Parts: sequence; C-alpha cells; structure tokens
Amino acid sequence: MKSFLLVLFLALMGTSSAQETISGNVIDKSGNPIVGANVYLEGTYDGTSTDEEGNFNFQTSETGTQTLVISAIAYDPHYEVGEVSYLKNLKIRLTEAINQLTGVTLSAGTFEAGDNSKVSVLKPLDIVTTAGAAGDFVAALQTLPGTTTVNEDGRLFVRGGSAEETQVFIDGLRVFQPFNATTNNVPTRGRFSPFLFKGITFSTGGYSAEYGQALSSVLLLNTTDEPDEEKTDIQVMSVGSGVGHTEIWGNTSLSINTSYINLAPYEALIPSTQGMEWNDPYESISGEGVFRVKGDRSMFKFYTGFNQATLDINQEDINFEDLVRFQLKNRNLYFNTSYKHFFGNNWSLFSGASVSNDVNEIAIIEDAIDTEEVNSHIKVKVKKGFSNRFELNTGVELFSTKYDETYQDPDGFTFDGGYDDVLVAGFLEGDLFFSQNLALKLGARAEHSNVLDQFSISPRLSLAYKSSENGQFSLAYGDFYQKPLTESIKFDQSLDLEKTSHYILNYQYLDNGKTFRAEAYYKDYDDLVKFDTELPSFNSEYSNLGKGYATGIDVFWRDNKSISNLDYWVSYSYLNTKRDYRNFTETATPNFAPKHNFSIVTKYWVEKLRSQVGVSYSFGSGRPYNNPNSKNFMDGKTKPYNNLSLNMAYLIDQQKILFFSVSNVLGFNNVSNYQYANVPNDGGFYPRREITPPADSFFFVGFFWTISTNTKSNQLDNL
Amino acid sequence: MKKLVAIIFIAVSFTTSAQDKYIQGMSKGMQLWGEQKITEASNLFERIAMAEPDNWLPYYYVALVNTTASFGVKDETKLSQQLNKAKEFIDVAKNISPKNPEILIVEAMMNTAWIAFDGATYGMTLSGKNTKLYNEAIELAPNNPRVIFSRAEWDMGSAQYFGKDTTPYCKDVERAIELFATTEPKETPFYPNWGEDRAKQVLSQCKS
Repeated sequence: MKSFLLVLFLALMGTSSAQETISGNVIDKSGNPIVGANVYLEGTYDGTSTDEEGNFNFQTSETGTQTLVISAIAYDPHYEVGEVSYLKNLKIRLTEAINQLTGVTLSAGTFEAGDNSKVSVLKPLDIVTTAGAAGDFVAALQTLPGTTTVNEDGRLFVRGGSAEETQVFIDGLRVFQPFNATTNNVPTRGRFSPFLFKGITFSTGGYSAEYGQALSSVLLLNTTDEPDEEKTDIQVMSVGSGVGHTEIWGNTSLSINTSYINLAPYEALIPSTQGMEWNDPYESISGEGVFRVKGDRSMFKFYTGFNQATLDINQEDINFEDLVRFQLKNRNLYFNTSYKHFFGNNWSLFSGASVSNDVNEIAIIEDAIDTEEVNSHIKVKVKKGFSNRFELNTGVELFSTKYDETYQDPDGFTFDGGYDDVLVAGFLEGDLFFSQNLALKLGARAEHSNVLDQFSISPRLSLAYKSSENGQFSLAYGDFYQKPLTESIKFDQSLDLEKTSHYILNYQYLDNGKTFRAEAYYKDYDDLVKFDTELPSFNSEYSNLGKGYATGIDVFWRDNKSISNLDYWVSYSYLNTKRDYRNFTETATPNFAPKHNFSIVTKYWVEKLRSQVGVSYSFGSGRPYNNPNSKNFMDGKTKPYNNLSLNMAYLIDQQKILFFSVSNVLGFNNVSNYQYANVPNDGGFYPRREITPPADSFFFVGFFWTISTNTKSNQLDNL
Repeated sequence: MKKLVAIIFIAVSFTTSAQDKYIQGMSKGMQLWGEQKITEASNLFERIAMAEPDNWLPYYYVALVNTTASFGVKDETKLSQQLNKAKEFIDVAKNISPKNPEILIVEAMMNTAWIAFDGATYGMTLSGKNTKLYNEAIELAPNNPRVIFSRAEWDMGSAQYFGKDTTPYCKDVERAIELFATTEPKETPFYPNWGEDRAKQVLSQCKS
C-alpha cells in the first residue's frame, strides 16, 4: 500500500513539475502562415494561439500520449497524436474547409430565392414586391432570364419549352395542379400564397436526379419550418379579401390562410371589353393550412390547400357569328405531408406523400366536359454525408394517376375517356467536393411507367469550378423524360415518353450586392408527340415522331448596393428554337417562343414617404403565328410585346400598408396571336382576328393589416 | 487512517487545482478580451470550453466575443466566419443550459449584427426572430437588467428605422440601470455581468 501511494504521489508530482514545451508552425496549402490558429492539447487547458508568423509555443505538464488540436476559422481542424515530448517543431499544414458560403456551389441552371443562400438571386421580399406581379410569385419569376413572356397564359415557359414542361414541387413532393384553372387568354396565377414558403428554387435546366417527369424546368418551394411569431393578417383588396393566422404552441405551429377573390366589382367599374364579356367574372374561394411539429432531430409538416373557382365568359371566335360561351367550375384539393429525421453520423431520412383531387365541370356552348383527376406522389429518400467533401442522396418514388373524362354534346352523344398509370422511379446522386474550388454532382434516375410499359434511365451531371474569388464556371448535362400530356395519353396509351437533353455552360460573378450570370445552353428534344388533327381527339393518329431543339443565352445582372435605396435587376434571354410537334406540318418556332426577351425591375425606397416605389418594364420580340393565307407554315410574326408597370407600397404605420399597382400603364396594345377562320371567305382569303388581353391595363389597390404582439411586423414581405 | 487522509488530501488538492485552472483561464480570457485581443480571447475560451464540456459559460463567451467583434465588420466573409463560429458555440451552450435568458439575448445580438451589416437583406427575416427571442427572455427573467436593456436597445433601433419616437424605451433603460445597481451578483464565477456602462451611455443619449 505504501509503495502504491508513493507511486501515486510521485506521478502527481511528476505531472506538476516536469514541463514540456510544445512548439511548431502552422501554414496553409500555399505555405503562408496562419495567424490566430488555436493550438491545444485536447481535454486540457494547455494551449495557445499562433503568432504573426504562424508559430506556436506553449508549456504543458501533461505526459504520455496526447492529442494536439490545431483549429482555425475556415480550415479543417488538424489532429496530431503523439508523446508530449515529441510534439516539438511541428510543421502543420491546414487544408481549407469546404464552406458553402465561400466555396464553389453547384448552381448551373438554378435560381434561388432564400434568406442566406449564396446563390440566392431574389430575396423572398423581391418575389412579391415586383411591379406587375401583383403578389403572384410566378409572375415575379417571369422577370428572370430563361423564361419567355407569354402574358396571356400566366404559367412558366422555359427555354423554348411549353408550360407543361415545368413541374412544381412543395417540400420535395409534386404539386399536380399548381395553377388556378382558367380558360384561353385569361391569365392564370399560382395557387399558393408566397408567405407560407421560406425558399424558392427555380431551375431552368440541368437539375438534380431527384426530380423527373419535367422536360424543361422545376420550381421547388419549401414551406417555413418554424414561424417567428403569432399573428393575424388581414387583406382587403380591390379584387377580394383574405385572412391569415399563425398560432404557435412551443414546437408545434399552425398557419392558415384563406382568401376570397371576386372580379365582379372591379369588372363593374372598369369592364374588360377586348374580345370578350363576362357573364360571371372569375370568383374563387381558397384556403391553405400548414401544420408543423419540430422535434430535436425531426420535422413533421402537413400542408393542405383547397380551392374552388367558377367563371362564365363569352369570347369572340372568328368561326362563330356570336360570342362563344365558356363556363368553368373547378374544385381542387391538395394534401402534402412529410417527415424528416436527422440521425447521428450525418444520416437523414425523408419520407412524404402528396395527393390531389381535381374536378372540372366545363361547358363550351352546349357541349359539356366533366373531368376528374386523382394524383399521388410518394417519396422516401436517405441522405448521408460521409464527410464535408462527399454526400450521397438516394431514394425511391411512386407516382399514380387516375384520370376520367366524360364528353357530352347536345345531341346526346357521349364519349368516356381516361387512363390509369403508376410510375415508379429511383435515383442515386453524389455531391463530391474535390476542393474549395472544384465540385461535382453525379447522378442517375430510373423510371418505369406502367401504362406506357416503358423504362428509362437519365444520367445527370453538374460540374462547378471556382475560377476566382468572386467568379465561377459551371457545366451541366442531363437527360429528362416526361409522360405525354393527358390530352393525348387519354386517347392513345401506346405512346412513348418524350425526351430532352440539356447541355449548359454557366458563368457567375458575385460581389457584395452585385450579381452577374450568363448561361449558354443547348436543348435537344426527341420523341415529341404528334397527332394529325387540329386538337388531340379520339380519332386522331398519334406518334412520337416529333423532335426539335432550343438554344440560347440568358444574362442576368442585379445590383442593390451601388445606389443607395435603389435595387434593380435586368434580364435578357436570346432564344432560338424550332420543333415539330403536335399538329405542326413542319419544323417551326412555336408561338410561345419569342426570340428576344428583356426585362428590368427596379425598386426604390423613399425614406421620407415611407414608401417603396417599383417600376418594371418587359419586352418580348414578335411571336410567330401561322397564317393560312401564306404558303409557308408559321411565318407570321406579331408586333413586339411591351409592358411598363408601376407599384407603390406605403407604410401608414408599422402594421398597416397601402398598396397600389398598375400594369401596362402606357396601355400598349399587345397582340399575342391571331385566330384565322377555318374556311376562306368568298375571295379565297382566310379572315383573322387579333388575340389580345381582355383589358390592356389592370389596376390593383390593397390594404394590408397585421395584428401581432410584435408591433413591428407587417405584410410588406407578402406584397 | 493517515493514508486515507493523505489520499483525500491529494484528491482534494487535485480538484481545487482544476478549479483554479478554470478561474485562471477564464480570468486570462477576460483580460485578453479587455485588451481587444479578440482571436486570442476566443481561442482561450474555446480551449476551456473543450475541456469543460458541461459548463455553458466558456461556450457563451466564445459566442459573445465573436458577436461583439462582428459589429462594424464590413467584409462579408469575415463577418460570416465570426458569426458562424458564434452560432456554433451558442448552440452548444443552449444544449448545456436550455431556457437561459443570457444565452437568448446573445443569440438575438448575433441576428442584430447581421441586420446591422445589411438591413435590406436580413431585416425582414431576422427581426421577427429577435422579437421572439426577447419575448422569451423577458418571460424567463423579467427582472434581469441585461435582458431589459438589450430589448429596449433593440426596440429603439427599430423605432429609429421607422422614424418613430424612441423616448418610450428610455424608461426601460432607466429601469435596467436601477436593476444593474441593485441586483445581487450571481455566485457562479464569470456569470455575465456586462451592460451597465452601455446602458448609461444609451440613457445619456435619451436625455440629450
């Protein structure tokens, strides 16, 4: 016992008396000293910071094998394990940490709107304070390059693709009817209120293997994880009203938002007269709700949206003496639920499902069409970060569609159409960061469609190289498949998937409030659906013999720093596209693809008036149309499109905002297309009529009031 | 028996020496911070934090040192590095000591640093978070002078931005100063005690 005590005592004495010196030098990969690195023995107080030359030197009373930790901001930590007496005159080289904020980003083809994201080109606020957008976030995205101005439609047309080639996802799950139901030439809006979302990613091509069934583009919306505060929002607008409320109970929260839109009072005051008259102007009632539960390592979300809309309109038609009556009643119900769990060791699991039910009752003159579509999407994916240099993402998905349609004409003739499909897909994708300056995303997606009995594999590749402090180059390639549209597949299920390949080269320059992007692309279309009648019909002949291409350059510039209180962005897109599809008699540029698109959005904050004033201008070159009086197919061109819009948000006080906007303030008469008669007149000439918007300009006035315990919040970010 | 005493003695002297080391280390850290040696102070607090994984204070000071040093930084890279470091450590502190008003106000201060750097970008998204943090802190500690003062200062900043009168908040600052004087210092060594000087400064602006 005595001897044991003695040993113990000596050991303790030993530790307190014998001092060892630990020393060395810390440099980066190019040999420059790292100043202020933290150097210490793990689990002890012994350590120091490196000096101006990167040197360190400290005393320790520890003995035996110890771990020396060298850590510095922006570098990966380094560990040296060894006998204390050997930790002398060390030469330590630290490698730069892969950091999302300063490092290379995989961003070819992508625009993001988010809070802290480096590649974010639009802030959530921008989405909704853009003049002419009138609170529709899709309209704000149309000011970005890569989109074309198809003002009479309201949806997203990306790089020579039709609107149906863009798919929308909420929290990674498909939204099957993202836009309100409408009719020809009455522009639609997105169904969702922007303020339930914290981030929007808009990809104009070359996107990840996680997303499929979209030939041109994906729009990814993410709902807020955790609302900041309890509040009630009240909106009174010239086109309707809305109420929203958020309630928080600890880690659980619920946000609801309801709105009622009725164009009747507006139409009574300022009637739309161009080529149409309303019997019952557009009326809709909608509600949305998000329920969230946040756990220590998990996130559960449930989103639901309901919308019922009716309209009754008489529209001009060159083939009819009288106006043609169109009635629509649409009911849409959508559920989206997801659960995310973060395990230790950088594993995470995501599982979710979305279901939609969409019912339309349509009457055209005396023909009646009833449709019902039930869609669902189920997805399970896992993500594993092996280090901050390598991350793997893999999952499986199932899409099911059930579509039924009944057509009835006044003579009692009926035709039932429809189809069922189950599509199974799997994807695997890895993100590899070779260094702070070079990164690669490599993945593949496999899909099998039941109804088409077809299997496809799409490779995806994206490479990014950071060429300087602020600049980076990116390359992306991918194959994309999409099922033929319902309008054809309901009649012919022997069709094949349509296909595109994207090749993208991107350069991006970011410098403190200034963003420059230029992107060149080539898109190859194959296996497009063709039919031999004016519109797809049960007796048409269908084939996949269509094909085409789209190539162009997109340029974006934004600056919110150079002039105080002024923020502006400019977009230009050059598009050269031709395709042979649908009922085209030969390869031609479609009507929705003007060659030049330009837009400028400016916002100016007037401190004295506590107001934000916004001006937007957009231009689209003439749009091709087919003139049957001409020998050549699709050789007509409309005059260019011009639109100057203004808006102003005035803060009455911190919680009350008055908002005005006017679109197309100069009243340009924009012609989007011409409708020609089906039969020539006596002189052998096909008469035509202009297709113009129902009204040249649109006015909007709204009053927004936020009631919360926090007297500073307002709805400025929702406008 | 003697042996036992000896063992206890040795054991006790050993533990007190660990406590001494902590006191010494923290004092040295405060000294370095006082000398504006930000990196050295942050590094030292970080070393103590790593050796004392159950004590929130060293983590708290790493966050506080980096946050206060971030005000006025114009370089976004440097700012984000410092504030990310602060965030990393405040998150650990929060795990060690949940529902701690002192930690909540430093978290709010980090958001304020972002807003001060670029109000247009971060103001909308972070100001709501700050209000939530201050409300939570005041609920937990209605008489903590640092909480009262920090919230009053934040409210004054917002009022100023909106061109509103800031004087209503001066009352809160006054109350904080009274509480600074009367509140008994906590027994825990190095428990946060900053704020009084700054509060007096702000109050003098109120009166001018």
